[in-house]
Amino acid sequence: MAVRDNEVQTILRVDLSTGKVSKETLPEQWTRQHLGGRGMNARLLFEETRSGTDAFSPENTLYFGTGLMDGLPVGHGRMSVACKSPRGTVAEGSFGGFFGPELRKAGIDYLAISGKAQQPVYLYINDDTVEIRDASHLWGLATDKTDAALRQELGDADIQLRYIGPAAENRVHSAVIMGNLNNSGGRAGCGEVMGDKKLKALAVRGTKGIRINNYDAFLEAYRDYYRKLALKTSRDPWTPVWSASGAPVLARLFTDMGNLMTRNAQQMSWDNDKAMAISCEPFLDHYVTKAKACFGCPWPACQKLYRIPKGKYQGFKGGNYWAGQPVVFASLIDNSDLDLVLVISGLCNQYGLDIFHVGFTLAWAMECYQKGLLTKADTDGLDLSFGCPNPEGIIDLVRKIAYKEGFGELLALGCAQAAKIIGQGSEKWALAVKGQELEAITERNNYMVALGIAVSEVGPDHTRWYPPYPCNPNLIPQKELEKLGLDLDLELAFQGRNPKEKGKLLRWFTISRAIVESLPGCVFLVRDTLGLDMRPWWKLFRTASGVDMSYPEFLTSGERLMNLDRAFNIREGFRRADDKPPYRMMYEDVPGFGYPRLEPVFDGMLDEYYTTNGWSLSTSIPTAKKLHELDMDYVLDDFQKLGVEVE
Amino acid sequence: MLTLELRYIAHVAMLTGNMLKEPWQTNAATMQDLIDELDAFYGGFREMFIDQATGRLCLNAMIYYNKLGEVPIPVINLDHPLSDKGIVTFW
Repeated sequence: MAVRDNEVQTILRVDLSTGKVSKETLPEQWTRQHLGGRGMNARLLFEETRSGTDAFSPENTLYFGTGLMDGLPVGHGRMSVACKSPRGTVAEGSFGGFFGPELRKAGIDYLAISGKAQQPVYLYINDDTVEIRDASHLWGLATDKTDAALRQELGDADIQLRYIGPAAENRVHSAVIMGNLNNSGGRAGCGEVMGDKKLKALAVRGTKGIRINNYDAFLEAYRDYYRKLALKTSRDPWTPVWSASGAPVLARLFTDMGNLMTRNAQQMSWDNDKAMAISCEPFLDHYVTKAKACFGCPWPACQKLYRIPKGKYQGFKGGNYWAGQPVVFASLIDNSDLDLVLVISGLCNQYGLDIFHVGFTLAWAMECYQKGLLTKADTDGLDLSFGCPNPEGIIDLVRKIAYKEGFGELLALGCAQAAKIIGQGSEKWALAVKGQELEAITERNNYMVALGIAVSEVGPDHTRWYPPYPCNPNLIPQKELEKLGLDLDLELAFQGRNPKEKGKLLRWFTISRAIVESLPGCVFLVRDTLGLDMRPWWKLFRTASGVDMSYPEFLTSGERLMNLDRAFNIREGFRRADDKPPYRMMYEDVPGFGYPRLEPVFDGMLDEYYTTNGWSLSTSIPTAKKLHELDMDYVLDDFQKLGVEVE
Repeated sequence: MLTLELRYIAHVAMLTGNMLKEPWQTNAATMQDLIDELDAFYGGFREMFIDQATGRLCLNAMIYYNKLGEVPIPVINLDHPLSDKGIVTFW
């Protein structure tokens, strides 16, 4: 059996316009600069996408990136997908499962897919065989049907797949790329671009082994890492919660804490009994049929497959119930029927819709309906009141969004675009940043989240700085922080509603998570001190890959990625004014618990973030000094050619 | 005698026979007293919430405390006082 060396990274280039396929090796110094995964995708995207490229042009290349830890116990099957977003920003997302390791075992670390196919196609990879195959018979199929059809056609029940559903085919806002039925990624625009390229699916089978450079040292590093994650030894309060229950438990907690977006975040607390009805406990007790883990994950499987046991939706099957669904399909639209939550969520996966797009846009429309801006004449006769009095109508509306039919055509644009069309002040309750809907985590009571959502280059994406709190200050003495490269007062940073140190904290989180996603690893497993002390990740990377780099070099790769993402957006015209929370969070107070608007504290936090990063306070552009310090003179050259106002 | 509302998040409810919340009458003055009382009644609370080596709250456990209508705050010190109509969330 062939075994791959684990320090050379290869890229397979596929031009769908010409059918040309080629394979090359990436420059070795890029591995030192960007590690792999998300970092390498960012470099490829920046180098190969000219400023002003139309997202729906053949020139907008879609990158799938693995990384040197993929296929090993630490990679967790994560991989990154990136391109330019139709919203103009960098589009990047990641997903778990098994596709990444399989791609690496086929001898490929990155896929760069450019051009546009004339007819629907899928890409078939079987070790060294690469074929662009007709997918006309798959076009229009839901993701679950696509999954089944491809496995049958290829005669391989275990082949690894990524595919799109009707939503991406129809270029619906935020449509996602799916895999393993329920793993989604790329909501920032990657699904839309894949659909535009008429690329229905990727299928990969690989049989090569992956060499661990220094097995004994890797095993020792892994043992140290595992102790921070194991139920008995982890010093993280979330470890037992996630291990036993999963993220839906948050709805119960958040409503008590005034932290649960309700009725499109007009309120931040829900009825406790309603929250109990859609929490993890009834879900685990009555709906879950099977748990499924990603490749090499050391934790209890966090993906849950479910089946609705009784009632009018009896027999409906789906997968995954996370922190997002109990917010966007429950409190946000005031629906406490868990069956309905799970049906909408499952349909989103089948159509390839982004749950946050659907939930926040539905909630925006419901508030428009509540205030008389939309009536039954606009909604195809549907009573769009909060509380979902017509659940069948809501289910049909989800389908209409995927197919851009009737009222669904407006909602298929996403809430920010739809609000521009409806106007009349509805922009104030369109909960989006950079054209992208919010997620489940709230802002007014966690200032680092507010800042993180506002400055995220891809629009709201909590994985860029997850988890959104530092570890317990008792875990690391303050004097140890400096040794780890942190200039941070952990006590102040730990206080969620104190604006001090939030810019510094977010900077650190963004850098460290950028590293994790470039190895890659799963940010869900950033537990205990793994979010502050990156040395365990560094040891794992060095021993597995054989790439010998110092700890400061390792940290710099994360900072470089943060600046590269910013540089991409700067080149597309984004500036400081684009880094702001939604109007509602910025300028409206919350009734009930009384969390104040963000306006009085936000600019100060933003200043701290830019200053710590070495970015211009007025424009948010990385300074020439910072770019030079990070060996990013190629960015500086590009800025100067384009007339970007670098300080 | 205080009346508290106790809430148990999923994995904690394993100790309480899947009871997710309940009213609780007690003479406990502090969180430490309450944990001792619950440990005597249900078992397992000390092990889950108190670090035997340090006597402090375990680093992999959380307790939130509030009164109805107030924002819950994380309990860091086990000497944290309790008062009537307090809500204690164990997770």
